[in-house]
Amino acid sequence: MTRAPSLRTAPPTGPDAPADAAAPASGNSATSPGRGLRPPRARGLLLALLFLLLAGLAIAALSARSHQALLDPRSPAPNGSRAVAQLLASHGVDIRVITTTEDATRAASRTDTTLLVSRPELLGTAQLSTLRTAFATGNGRTVLLAPDDTATAALAPRVRTTNRTAISTRPADCDSEYAAKAGPVELGGRGYTTSAAQADTCYPTEHGSALVRIPQAEDNGDTVILGTGELLFNERLAAEGNASLAVQLLGSRSHLAWYLPSPTDPAADSNESGLFSLLPDGWLWGSAQLAIAVGLAALWRARRLGAVVVDRIPVAVPASETTEGRARLYHRSGARDRAAETLRSAARERLAPLVGVAPEHAHVRTALCPALDLHTADPPPNGAEPATSAPLLFGPTPANDAELVLLSEQLDRLQERIKSSRGGKERRP
Amino acid sequence: MALTGRAAFAAALGVLVVGFLVPSWVGLAAVQLPLLFAILYDLARAAPARSAHFTRSAQHSVQAGSATHVDLTVENSSHRPMRALIRDAWPPSTLPAQPVPQQPRHRVVVPPGEQRRLTTRLLPQRRGDHHAHPVTIRSYGPLGIAARQSDHTVECTVRALPPFHSRRHLPSRLERLRELDGRTNILAAGAGTEFDSLRHYVPGDDTRSIDWRATARQPQPVVRTWRPERDRRILLVLDTGRTAAVRAGELPRLDTYLDAALLLTALAAKAGDRTDLLAHDRQVRATVSARGTASALSTIVSALAPLEAELWETDPRALAAAALHAGRRASLLVLFTGVESAGFEEGLLPFLPRLAAEHTVVLAAVTDPHLAEMAQQRGSVEAVYRAAAAERALAERRRTVQQLRAQGVIVVDETPDRLAPRLADTYLALKAAGRL
Repeated sequence: MTRAPSLRTAPPTGPDAPADAAAPASGNSATSPGRGLRPPRARGLLLALLFLLLAGLAIAALSARSHQALLDPRSPAPNGSRAVAQLLASHGVDIRVITTTEDATRAASRTDTTLLVSRPELLGTAQLSTLRTAFATGNGRTVLLAPDDTATAALAPRVRTTNRTAISTRPADCDSEYAAKAGPVELGGRGYTTSAAQADTCYPTEHGSALVRIPQAEDNGDTVILGTGELLFNERLAAEGNASLAVQLLGSRSHLAWYLPSPTDPAADSNESGLFSLLPDGWLWGSAQLAIAVGLAALWRARRLGAVVVDRIPVAVPASETTEGRARLYHRSGARDRAAETLRSAARERLAPLVGVAPEHAHVRTALCPALDLHTADPPPNGAEPATSAPLLFGPTPANDAELVLLSEQLDRLQERIKSSRGGKERRP
Repeated sequence: MALTGRAAFAAALGVLVVGFLVPSWVGLAAVQLPLLFAILYDLARAAPARSAHFTRSAQHSVQAGSATHVDLTVENSSHRPMRALIRDAWPPSTLPAQPVPQQPRHRVVVPPGEQRRLTTRLLPQRRGDHHAHPVTIRSYGPLGIAARQSDHTVECTVRALPPFHSRRHLPSRLERLRELDGRTNILAAGAGTEFDSLRHYVPGDDTRSIDWRATARQPQPVVRTWRPERDRRILLVLDTGRTAAVRAGELPRLDTYLDAALLLTALAAKAGDRTDLLAHDRQVRATVSARGTASALSTIVSALAPLEAELWETDPRALAAAALHAGRRASLLVLFTGVESAGFEEGLLPFLPRLAAEHTVVLAAVTDPHLAEMAQQRGSVEAVYRAAAAERALAERRRTVQQLRAQGVIVVDETPDRLAPRLADTYLALKAAGRL
């Protein structure tokens, strides 16, 4: 009962059932496949898949960390911007990190707020047009860090993007107050040109200027475009006049809204149309033709060359199946009495002819035991055997399984002894 | 009709045309219409598959486990050349494993009005009659883009004969038979009851066999020699019920029965006895009535080849009646059956006294060698219970065998590999004792 390992083949027979009922119902055919066997190829594929998954996760985790740190005012990483944030806070500027277009719109509409768009290239078309409307009506300051063509066209229509240049220390080369104060600054990246009338263009590079400021026409709002955001990195802030320029540009208002565009922003539009626009125009027609080709391939493979041929396999039932089943039933019900009696009676039947007792008297205690004791008495080998075989052959039922195992082994030993003593006697004369 | 990979490939190439050159309905039509025309043209130009004519010889006979081949002739009766793929389908167990049995396929080109012969190698593993399945022909058109296909039923049967493994026991038994036969001088008294000849006495002969009348007319003592009876009839009765399907050792019991029956038949044929055969479960499965001794073995082999065990209980009354009827003139009745207690005691056992009253009855049974192994198992609780269950099965078997012997039935209860030689020995012993 404790183990009951394989109930599945136990046939429905009781202990008194026929020894061999080759019942077709319990016919375990020889063709039942082994369980737990998987072809090695599938295992290799699984391993490869697992490896791919792990590698993908690792790469995603690594790149996500470096991305998240980039220009984040909370990040102490080399490419984070915690230093400049603390610097501004010490100048009494209240910094708030925002991630949604909605918040950015609200910040842009307030006079006392500077809106820093840290990565304008992440903004979608819909977000850009929302922000553009907000900028047009707002009167705060907006700082854009290295906007690309699309962002420049949307947010600062009179500015044009030119080629990239290397980042290096460049002189201000303009008469704006903040640039004069800051002196040479590490700038570069994108260059910009503008057609606006009162615009400041400072820090000229080989292709346009690295800093452009366009004041709003009516009030004191303005838009500042920087060719790179790297001067706000923790690792670069201390160099040259970087810190001075950053504080002057970002600390001119009492509030700073630090906008980190996020993919979880509900306003962020999905770029599906963009993906599809990468495909050639005929892809829809091409895939229709591909479907036809797949259908023809299916017809080609599906047509069999004649029907499946079946083999008539003769039924085969293992002869000892019911005996095995009975052994399991004995075990499960703990039928020690039956098992012990069967083993004893088999031993008696084998012993009786060896000691000259007639087969019909094999199960009579008074006939068999004295004859046996005569044989066992003469050469006592090690004294481990009981003096008389009566308790062994006719004794009580074993009390537990261990005793049953012991009984079976003692019966074996007794038979061995009788056989060897008889063999010795026959050889002696 | 069938398409080929070329059709699918052409359609796949069309993706480039439709996708890059003409992305419109026009483009789709421009690809599909030519493809459709090509398919229709191929179907129209392919040699007809349905009217292809197949012939082959109807019957083959081979020993199970040895290779053979069957021929299939295909005739192209049309006026178009036939490029065809032909599948000659056979049950997987009759095909050579390479490493998995694969249905034989033949690629063939038959000019109009001609014939071609295709040869299929077969290696039947299993005894019995193996029937050919329908032949499938796929006739390709000139472009190879589409094909016509049809199935043809061409009857053919390959009979795989039982392997007769016990043949190796035959020479030693024949040797002993010759000793019985009076051809050698060391003839023991009582070997046979049929008068053979008179010859001069040599020291060592049994004095009881001296023929005194003949001695009176001769200067020397003369002894009679005897030889075993000849022209006796033996009836082999095979029980093909469910107990014959049980696998003892490696083979089903029925195969062991067949092996033993073949050895006995071969031996009896040499001894001049005739062998009849009856296979029965609920009805007669096979009967062989021997005409002479020469062809007995081949007749019985081919009668036994397609025999299979049925999964139902034998009808003992019908079996006994059929055995009595078929064995009217038989002097020895050999009954191959299982002696498992319950089924047997209620089944055939009550009918055996009637059979034993009229004939010498030998009962041949196969015991499972695994039972003896199980009875030896020790060491764990599970093993001891298994040993107990096996001992019990063995004890029941012994009891049944004792009951049978008490009724005068000679029982040969052996493991599969020893049944055939022991049965042959029993037959020789009976013959020597003159009990036939």
